[in-house]
Amino acid sequence: MKRNVAIIGGGQTYHAARRHDVDQAEMVNEAVRRALDDAGMTIDEIDTIFLGNMEFFEGVHMTDCWLVHGTGAYGKPGLKITTGGTVGATTVCVGAHHIASGLFDKALCIGFEKQEEGDTGAILSGVAHPLWGRSLAGAAVGYFATMGSSYMATWGATEEHSAMVAVKARQNARKNPYAHLKLDITIEDALNSRMLSYPIRMLDMCPASNGACAMVLADEKTAKKRCKKPVWIRAMDTAHNEQFELDWRFVDTKRPIFSKVCAARMYKKLGVKKPAEYFDVFEVYEPATWAELIWYEDLGLCGPGEGFRLVEKGMTNIDGPIPVNPSGGVLSTNCIGASAMLRVWEAALQIRGDAGGHQAPKDVRRALTTGYGGTNWTVMTALSKTLDD
Amino acid sequence: MVQKEQEWISIPMTVDVPYRFAAGQYLTKYLVEMRDNGKIFAVKCPRCKRVQLPPRIVCAECHVKNEEWVELAQEGTLVAFTIMYLPLTDPTTGKPHEPPFVYGSVRLDGATSVLDHFVNVEPDMEKVWVGMRMRLVLRPKEQRTGDLSDILYYEPLPGQVRPK
Repeated sequence: MKRNVAIIGGGQTYHAARRHDVDQAEMVNEAVRRALDDAGMTIDEIDTIFLGNMEFFEGVHMTDCWLVHGTGAYGKPGLKITTGGTVGATTVCVGAHHIASGLFDKALCIGFEKQEEGDTGAILSGVAHPLWGRSLAGAAVGYFATMGSSYMATWGATEEHSAMVAVKARQNARKNPYAHLKLDITIEDALNSRMLSYPIRMLDMCPASNGACAMVLADEKTAKKRCKKPVWIRAMDTAHNEQFELDWRFVDTKRPIFSKVCAARMYKKLGVKKPAEYFDVFEVYEPATWAELIWYEDLGLCGPGEGFRLVEKGMTNIDGPIPVNPSGGVLSTNCIGASAMLRVWEAALQIRGDAGGHQAPKDVRRALTTGYGGTNWTVMTALSKTLDD
Repeated sequence: MVQKEQEWISIPMTVDVPYRFAAGQYLTKYLVEMRDNGKIFAVKCPRCKRVQLPPRIVCAECHVKNEEWVELAQEGTLVAFTIMYLPLTDPTTGKPHEPPFVYGSVRLDGATSVLDHFVNVEPDMEKVWVGMRMRLVLRPKEQRTGDLSDILYYEPLPGQVRPK
């Protein structure tokens, strides 16, 4: 990047299925105030504001305009970002690029979703091609179910492996006071939960959450002057995908799929040869259990078809050698427009050593996060503790 | 002062929006062939030779114009599926599909792409599997409208045994 960019503060709401007590601006403002407090800044010091959500889920468009009082954007430059499940990471990416370019020194990035106000499943069908398969658009669960069936048939994984991911996420969430589903569940609980869409059961899928996350980004000079524990954004990348042809249903594809393409480009930029050793913590976007297993493989933490072996051996537990989603991940909290930003913010907390009960018990100097959404695309972010890491 | 339980007001609203989408040059040709002649056509990229569905003007990978039309067989292989237990709303009609039902992705013989549709099979894990051979079933000609729903479903070719 042309100029170094750091995360100098952040905050999130307590995520929940019901937030009748606040409207969208009130909810967003909770995260904004926590982020400004954490950064030790006032809104007057912020140069520009980027707000992200999937506005069609709530049916209120132009949220950047309607929520100005909650975001603090009155009189300031900025943009609204709407890129599917990746929204939150895209919003950080946009903020980072604006600072790296030298246009601004201090940016406030905000992601939110108030899922209870609309019907996300119904609206998601609008993401499908209108004339090719929309009548079958089975919300997100249908897609992840077809992917799970293909993964099991191709690699020989079983429903137990999916249950292991489901349990890991919710047990980690119990250590995270902000998480939505803090469930003390067992493998048996997951395997006995209601079947939604074979092979996906209730506990294999993310919840519909309400919540917001906000982060303050700054250039190197500001970060070093104003922040005791800046977390550095070392690289960000995105990759689009060919539609209809290539997605996670095709688990053994040899073609350049978005997730592998993006990871390869990130690793090349950073000189990463062994990602499982290079990064200390991962926060990945896993709306369903099977997505986490595919992330292991596509990020190169193991070989193709070996993702389910990693979780089987406990390698990705919070105290394992490759901690993945110590926060509880998207499986425990999915306030869509905030979810991909929560990956970045949670990874930053791990590097700061401020994750509290869900801090990975190791020296965390580098972290990798992924966003996922739309019709298969990703935004990845690599973070480090110092500019020498 | 007596403490009353806090009341929060939220107001329900339904928005009903009509749309009309153009099928365009390539998809129109596909839909007309399926409606009038009961044939399934894909396009083949002159460079990478991939046979693509839905037919489209440009190969996404090679970024060259697709000009060769290829008729596909109406049999293929199931590569992924689900048994859906939720009464999902069909966004094209506003009515729910009756659960449980099966749908999946079938790669028709000769195609690189898959085509997703309902699978007319009992919603039972023993009766459907990845790798199963399928046949595409169209509506009778007089009922076809020039829409993807002119395909009724896939049905398994007879005489198949679930692999161990």
